[in-house]
This record gives sequence, structure tokens and C-alpha cells, in this order.
Amino acid sequence: MQLVNRPTTYDHPDPGKDSTATAAEKDIVLTTRGLSKAYGRGKKRFEAVRDVSLTLHRGEVLAFLGPNGAGKTTTIKMIAGLVRPDRGQVIVAGADPHRRTRALRNIGAVLEGNRNLYWRLTPEENLEYFGVLRQVPRKQAHRRGLELLARFGLEDKRDTPVQKLSRGMQQKVAIAVALIHNPQLLLLDEPTLGLDVEAGETVKALVRQIAQEGRAILLTTHQLDVAEELSDQVAIIRRGRIIAEQSTESLLQEFSGSTYKIEIQGPLPEEQRRRITQLGAVIEGAQVTYSGTPESLYALLAALQPLPILSVQRDRADLTQVFLKLVQDRQDSTL
Amino acid sequence: MIDLLQVELKRTWIQFIRYPLEFVAGLIITTSVFYGLFISAKYMAGPSFAFGDRLDAVVVGYVLWSLNLYIINDVAIELQSEAQTGTLEQVFLSPWGSTRVFFARAIASLALRFALISAIVLILMTISGSRLSFPVTLLLPFLSLVMAGYGFAFLMGACALVFKRVQQILGIFQFLLLFLLAAPFEESTGLMQQLRFLLPMIPSSGLLRDLMARDLGLDWLTFGLALLNGVAYLALGLWVFRWAEKMAKKRGSLSGY
Repeated sequence: MQLVNRPTTYDHPDPGKDSTATAAEKDIVLTTRGLSKAYGRGKKRFEAVRDVSLTLHRGEVLAFLGPNGAGKTTTIKMIAGLVRPDRGQVIVAGADPHRRTRALRNIGAVLEGNRNLYWRLTPEENLEYFGVLRQVPRKQAHRRGLELLARFGLEDKRDTPVQKLSRGMQQKVAIAVALIHNPQLLLLDEPTLGLDVEAGETVKALVRQIAQEGRAILLTTHQLDVAEELSDQVAIIRRGRIIAEQSTESLLQEFSGSTYKIEIQGPLPEEQRRRITQLGAVIEGAQVTYSGTPESLYALLAALQPLPILSVQRDRADLTQVFLKLVQDRQDSTL
Repeated sequence: MIDLLQVELKRTWIQFIRYPLEFVAGLIITTSVFYGLFISAKYMAGPSFAFGDRLDAVVVGYVLWSLNLYIINDVAIELQSEAQTGTLEQVFLSPWGSTRVFFARAIASLALRFALISAIVLILMTISGSRLSFPVTLLLPFLSLVMAGYGFAFLMGACALVFKRVQQILGIFQFLLLFLLAAPFEESTGLMQQLRFLLPMIPSSGLLRDLMARDLGLDWLTFGLALLNGVAYLALGLWVFRWAEKMAKKRGSLSGY
């Protein structure tokens, strides 16, 4: 299977769908075009990111996946204006953060490996401080900070210095701080890393809520189950290049097999057993395994009559399988 | 921008006093180091110590050295510690731009340090028996001195952004600064009398000694040159800092340490 970067509506609007394209364009929060970055010189030079183009709309969650050192963090930092690309362009809510610091008003970020907060300050103080740092008037920052603390269930911790909070709470405060200036784009680098199950679930719920508010979220994670649960779109990067970018659902569909597992109740009479085998199914106890088109599945189901069917399941790929397959296939093809 | 100054002041103050033991220890250590320096200089050099004509001038020299040392280290050390703790990139995400944020920070920490130094000066005056005068015009050469000091602070900050480890440069710089601030260049003759206006902070520190220790009035021409000196070094510092930020972003080494 060949996956290529999907052309974005921003780059190539469909002339036949002008009105749709315009509406979609309006909804675009992030566009990166041909982002490239190399580090080092001469023999030590290596290309960290090559020609990365992404598009993210309002309310969408894009999971940005890749092995260690694939270029995820460099890309995120180029989007946030923290690393200057050698080539290409970043547009966040209509402005380039590398040219206009104004664009930073629409970017909130929680970066991995960083504390992101002042540990000696309380959540309330952090929120007020970072609010003003993001050009929100002080009083408004304070008010909004209190609202966010209430929403994130941190009201009773508002006066506790951040360093005395649990890792999960610190992460929630960091996300609240990233939202203090009401940005359209939220960048989350490994948001659930190092969190216990409960805290991880809370953060996931928050990410969903934040996306529902209409913000675009770009998240990187090594926890592919998290990516599968949260994302609308997936972009997989390997050695600096995007090797897949499409909707999470369609990617999973593409990689899902056409094998069905049917669970039945009761023994199959010999005649029925023979007919089912003729249709290409394999019977193992109370389970019938069938590989074929969805249409011919009905013939099989008819052949099973009148036995009670307990379940029909299609083998569904998970993101981990898709990710490993894509990354390994590429590895093989470059050998 | 006023809001930014306010929150920087608040942040600096909270971080300073949140742990009272640390705060008191810091105060005692600073004063002790200061006092130690003062009596050892007196002991080593005797009454004819070349820092100044009079003991008062020595006190002024020390005070300025201490304050400027703090100012100059401020940006670089803040940058390094924030890179280590992982808040630096959040600061660089500010739409104000890093130069303005660090400038507001510098002013906030100066206000705090200024209060501390004022207390130390009073203590030193009591210990040494020197009686310094504080005319209002004092603020003017102080301003030009601080401007040049911040110029150097941003230069050091630029070094921290590009080279990461600047402890050694800062260490060496302490002695250079002591020389620049405590040596009475204003009393030099010949070519040095003119050249001193090009050297950082020297015209301002000479003026401060005139006002505080020698009971002389403010020489407006000298102050004009001292102000020019301050503005020029500040502009240089800010310019180099911006360049260093661009370099760090190009190398992708903003948060590295």
C-alpha cells in the first residue's frame, strides 16, 4: 500500500467545491508547508525534518506519531516558533510565528521534558503570570485562571505551590496555563507521559473537551492507544518525513483485515458444517472464522441458520499495528 | 507592559520569599560576604588603599560592584536556570518577545536587589562609620550606570543562549567589574581622562563617587557622556541578545543546557 501526504484544501482548493473549500479554509488553524530543518554541518549534518506539510482544522485532534528521533519535537517547536525552519512556512490562525510574535497569541503549548510551570508559584499565580506573559490583561488573566482551575477540578489546590502537587495535577495545571490566553492551537508533547492510569484518563478527557470547544490540538505521544482514542487525524513521521497522514478511522480501516469471527451457540449438524466449509470458512468449536468480502458474509450467515449467533466481529487493526507496519515497511524498503 | 512589570515583580518577590529560611540565609550571606570583603580590603591595603581617596569612596565602589555584579549575572543565570528547570521555552512563547520579557524581569529583580542593597549600605555605613550623602541627583548617574550594567547583562545572556555554560566567563567578569567600578578612573590624567568615557560604566561610577563620597555637585557634561555611555552599552547588549536568540532558534538549542 502506498500512502502519500494528503494534499490540503488550503494548498489545492477544489474548484468544484468553492463554498465548501472556503468554509474549510476558514476553519484551518494550522498549516505548515514544506517544513525542513537540518542540524550540524558537513559530515555531521543530518536532516531532522524534511518537507513536512500538515493542516489542522478547528476542533480537530491530530496525533503526530513517530519513533524516537523521527522529528516530532523539532516539528512542534518549529510550529511554536522556537526552532527556525531552514525552509518552509508555518501559519497559525493566519500569521507566521517566525515573522510576527502576534501569532504566538494563538499558540498554547505543553512541551515534553519541561516543567512548563514555576514550581515555587501556586497554580493561581502561575496562571496569572503566564496569562500576562501571553498578553492577557492582568485582571482578566486572574479571572480566567480561576475559571480554568474550577473547570479542571483544581480549586482546592489553587494556593499550593506547584512542586507539592502530584504529577497528574501538575500536568493539568500546565494544560490550564497553555489555555489561559484562549489560543486556537494547542500543542501537546507527550501529554500523558509518566501519569498514572487515573490521571491519564483525566488528561484524555480534558483533551477531548478542549477539542470540542473548537480548538485544534496537535499531540505527540508514544502511547498509541491514547492517540487512537483521541485523534481525528494521524500523521506518522519517520526519519523526518511524513509517511502517512489521514483520518484515524480511515487509516485503521485500511489496515483492518477482511477476516470475520462469528461465535455461534450449539453444535453444527454435519450437513451444515460441510456447506459452511464449502463457503471458505473455518470452524473451530463454537467459532467460525471467515475471510471474504462483506457481501459474501451474508451467504455464510444464511448458511448458519437457524443456529443462534452470539457475535460477529471483524478483525480490526489498532494503531499500534498500523504504526509498526508502516514504520517497518519503510525500514525494509530503505534497506 | 505595566501588567508585565507588575507580574514580574510579583513573581520575583514570591520566588524570593516563599521559603523564608532561604530568604533570611540569603540576606545574611550577602551581608556577611559584603562585610568580609570590606574588612579584608581595609586590612590588606591599609588606609592608603587605591580604590578611592577615602573610605567612603571604597564603600561606594563595593556597593556598585555588588549591585552591578548582580545585574550582570541576572539575565544569564536566569536563562540558564530556566533552561534547566524547563520554563525557558514557555518564556520564549510570549508574544511580548523575549527581549521585553527579560527587560521587565531585569527591572523587577533590580527593584528587589536595590531594596536589599540599600539595607546593606546602611549596615555598612554603620560598621565603617562612613557617612555617605544621598542627593536626588544621585539617581541620574545611577540610571546611566544601571543601563550600561544591563547592556552587559544582555551580552552575558546572549553568551548563555549561544554557548550555554557561562559560569567561567561570569567568574572572570567579577574581577574585571571590580576593577572597572572600584578604580577611580575619574582621577586619572592624560589620555585616560578621555578614554574612560568609552569604557563601560566608568563615567557613571566616577560621578556617583563624586556625589556620594566627595560631596561634589553633578557635572552635567560628564553626566551627558555617562548617559551616552549607558545607552550605547544597553543598545549593544540588546542587539547582541536578539542576534543570539536568532542563532539559538536556528540551531534549535534554545532549551538545551
